[in-house]
Amino acid sequence: MSWDTALPVLVLLSSLVPGLVIFFLREEQSRVRTALNLAGAVVKIGLVGIMLWGVYHERHYETRLPLLPGLDLILRADALAMLLTTLSAGLWLVTTIFAVGYLEGSPHRSRFFGFFSLCVTATMGIALAHNLLTFFVFYELLTLTTYPLVIHRGTPQALRAGRTYLVYTLAGSAVLLLGIVWLHRVAGPFSFTQGGALSHLGPQSHGTLLVIFALLIAGVGVKAALVPLHGWLPVAMVAPAPVSALLHAVAVVKAGAFGVVRVVYEVFGIRFAADLGVTTPLALLAALTIVYGSLRAVVQDDLKRRLAYSTVSQVSYIALGVATPGSISSIGGIVHLVHQGIMKITLFFCAGNLAETLGIHRVSEMNGVGRRMPWTMVAFTVAALGMIGVPPMAGFISKWYLGVGAVEAGQGWIIAVLAASSALNAAYFLPILHTAWFKHPTGEWKEEHPRGRFEADWRLLLPSLVTAALVIATGLFASTVMSPLTWAKLIAAREYQP
Amino acid sequence: MISLSVQPLLWFLAVGLPLVLAAGTLLRRYGPVALAWAPWTPLLALAVGVVAPSDSVVSLPWLLLGAQLGMDATTRVFLCFTALLWTCAGFYARAYLVEDPARQRFFAFFLAALSGNVGLVLAHDAVTFYLFFALMSFASYGLVIHDGTREAYRAGRVYIILVVVGEVLLVSALFLMVPGADTVAFSAVSSAVAAAPRRDLIVALTLAGFGIKAGMLPLHVWLPLAHPVAPTPASAVLSGAMIKAGLLGWIRFLPVGEGTFPGWSGFCIGAGLLAAFYGVLIGLTQTNAKTALAYSSISQMGFMTIAVGIGFASPVAWPAAVSAALLYALHHALAKGALFLGVGVVQQVQNGWQLWVVLAGLLCPALALAGAPLTSGALAKLALKDALAFFPLFRPGWLEHLLSLAAVGTTVLMARFLYLLQPGGHSHAPRLAFGLWVPWMVLLLSVLGVPWLFVSQPHGAVVSKTLSFSAFWPVGVGVVLAGAAWRFGRRWALLGTLRVPSGDVLITVTWLMSWWQRQWRSLLAPLMAGKQEVWLARYRITGIERAVLRMEGQLGRWANAGLLFLLLAGVLFATFVFG
Repeated sequence: MSWDTALPVLVLLSSLVPGLVIFFLREEQSRVRTALNLAGAVVKIGLVGIMLWGVYHERHYETRLPLLPGLDLILRADALAMLLTTLSAGLWLVTTIFAVGYLEGSPHRSRFFGFFSLCVTATMGIALAHNLLTFFVFYELLTLTTYPLVIHRGTPQALRAGRTYLVYTLAGSAVLLLGIVWLHRVAGPFSFTQGGALSHLGPQSHGTLLVIFALLIAGVGVKAALVPLHGWLPVAMVAPAPVSALLHAVAVVKAGAFGVVRVVYEVFGIRFAADLGVTTPLALLAALTIVYGSLRAVVQDDLKRRLAYSTVSQVSYIALGVATPGSISSIGGIVHLVHQGIMKITLFFCAGNLAETLGIHRVSEMNGVGRRMPWTMVAFTVAALGMIGVPPMAGFISKWYLGVGAVEAGQGWIIAVLAASSALNAAYFLPILHTAWFKHPTGEWKEEHPRGRFEADWRLLLPSLVTAALVIATGLFASTVMSPLTWAKLIAAREYQP
Repeated sequence: MISLSVQPLLWFLAVGLPLVLAAGTLLRRYGPVALAWAPWTPLLALAVGVVAPSDSVVSLPWLLLGAQLGMDATTRVFLCFTALLWTCAGFYARAYLVEDPARQRFFAFFLAALSGNVGLVLAHDAVTFYLFFALMSFASYGLVIHDGTREAYRAGRVYIILVVVGEVLLVSALFLMVPGADTVAFSAVSSAVAAAPRRDLIVALTLAGFGIKAGMLPLHVWLPLAHPVAPTPASAVLSGAMIKAGLLGWIRFLPVGEGTFPGWSGFCIGAGLLAAFYGVLIGLTQTNAKTALAYSSISQMGFMTIAVGIGFASPVAWPAAVSAALLYALHHALAKGALFLGVGVVQQVQNGWQLWVVLAGLLCPALALAGAPLTSGALAKLALKDALAFFPLFRPGWLEHLLSLAAVGTTVLMARFLYLLQPGGHSHAPRLAFGLWVPWMVLLLSVLGVPWLFVSQPHGAVVSKTLSFSAFWPVGVGVVLAGAAWRFGRRWALLGTLRVPSGDVLITVTWLMSWWQRQWRSLLAPLMAGKQEVWLARYRITGIERAVLRMEGQLGRWANAGLLFLLLAGVLFATFVFG
């Protein structure tokens, strides 16, 4: 097995092995656990870095495991895969640091970090999967490994949320599997192909393909929280903050959105999908989700709930960009995979930090919190402004490409959707900023820990500052060589090759 | 001449240093140092405005989507008055807020807004302009609500809502106008707008988006609320410098000078005239001196809107129109800044002779705004009338008369402003506050001198032109009118009893908003928050509505959601397959 074929597997193993070992650690061996976690995360970043360099220089990294005759498990590092792998590897490291600080002293940490690592492994598998079967295997694995994380606290509310989550996602998986099997019957075995793998099918099967497209999108749409399949997401926010952060930024929701990208671009192909007439309905559905999620977010007082509905809205930018046929929109949609991840994870880190340090769970409890925890609120402010789309934050770049792309594709109505969404984002984020920075504190907070050198435990503070800096950097330096935007342009250019 | 390699560095510093200091003021350790340096930073921008060679552009391909900063004639004028006003306001603010415990926070926002203002003047591409415009707009929120009073918060709320609306309108306009996602330089954009298929929509969005900043009717409502509640130095930069960012946006993004657009020309001239008179009339009914000044700004921005309207008329008229707009912007920025700073100075006077000095000082910018001979206002009016000579659509004789009539109004409004001043309101100051007097005096001298530096014609000829009868009579009539009102004093005081609330048409809007808010709270908010039972309990509703509600509630169950999805997908697909 050469280096090039081993690398994708090694990337998976770098979190799988620590995860499995951690299960066998005793609860109090927290140093070993943390060391294992961090070592895995660092090794993974190194491996992903090597692959990133290689893919940029057109090297191919592929692992193939024969499963059934004609059906292989294929892991392959293509440009699109690298986008999600890099995001996950980077954010896994900061989330691990955050989680270590967040869960300090709480029970069942070995279980938590074990599943946490497995969850990342599954996400990596989803990113690297190169055919629908492989994608489905890891997609299922992700469902099963996140369930224990959602119900981690074990409260009745958490158990109920876990049940909802499981019902939604398993049903989604069933629909997805149905779609995959049907598609394989129609089209035979195929792997993801840039520009689509189905365009050879004649017009007699187009009716069937329409139904299959709906099934596949419904399957991945559950995790991507497309309205009306979004019900599980706001409920699942009872999970601990690091889980929510991971769920909303890189793992579950992102896996769904990533699935949408794969199905539209590399199963059907954007041109073929547009000819079939499926892109416009998908874009409409995404637009509906964007507006609906924002409307719901405006009235939530619970901070994490508000953020959850914001995710419903923001993740659909990806679907919207992908479903608009035109290379500029595609760039906007693809780059938002990364941008939404770093912005939303920052917000959840801050929410978790506020809850853990001061016991704040609601927006109405945040009066004047900017004075007590200025750095946390700086990070929150940066990410929130990014979500609204204020330059130079990352969110502006996404919106810019989506908006200009909408005009290029002749879909002017999308601008109205973006405008409405920006205004609504401002409506639910700016009051938080005003409350935190300009109102006077109404009473004492429940300080859960004695105040140390910093405003909070550095493990809770540092991750949010790092990701907030990334939010600015990815926007401000969007035109540089290794920015997510440049990478997204590369992917889009390959997708739209004549 | 500084060598070209130093230029970019100086430009960076002019934009970046205020931002660095803004962050510095918030750090406990560096706060005092940052505060001490804060008022000096606009001088960097002034230096750029003076020494940078014309038509130079600095490209930064690694920044944003390829940023460009540049210097042209428009930039130079804007940069000079912006920097001058911010410098005076900065020093003034240091003295004005000397006892304010929150002055560090004030300076953080002040410096951030300064950075935005300088940056947008230097910007030579659409995205960079939009970035600094947003920075300035959002940072100014901190200036508006600085005092933390009820009125300040109300003004702040109105302001920030309009900022967001403006941002959204602008970004929509930008989406429609840029020729490509990475082709954002002004040189590429303005010609693309003229040829764009949805040109009228773009123009409308741009006019409205920047119109919010420029106080265009009916988007002006935030101005008379925000300018009086902000600390006086902040009012000066808001009303003098930042308001001009709207004008600059129009000059940069509208297809003025790129073709003949009679419809938009008429619209802008009409809107400008309306604002010119409306601002004066409502301003006269105000009882707060700063509010009267804010309305005067609305009125004066009307003249600049007229200049833009002339530019729309034909490419031939544009060079004259833009130089008129620039001169007007320069003159108004300095004069209005001096008037606002004067309000604070008046509040500090302790005896009779000081009061007379201040009133005499304030008379200069007041007369300038009215367009009295030999003042900068007369220069600006002259330039505007020169531009009108190029106006090809009709003989604009009546327009000149209307402009003179508006000048009469401005004169009366300025008299009213002087009448409303409250000397010695803050007489707790132990001694003559040099920190207030000196910056104000500097600005006064600038009002008298600086505009002449930007007149291209020989000064002798211009002086004789400003001494014409048409410059005299509006001021004379205005003074007579104001004098008569003063003489029959009761009526003059009674103007205040008309009580047009500051923010005028906002009252109807707030009424509508509060109605909507009531509806939202009682009907939609519980629904959106997932509390259908509130709804069911409060209203007797028909069977259909009940069904809708129940459906919303049952979305929580997978089976229904899935079914609905398939149904939705089916319907959508059906429409696209068979439709």
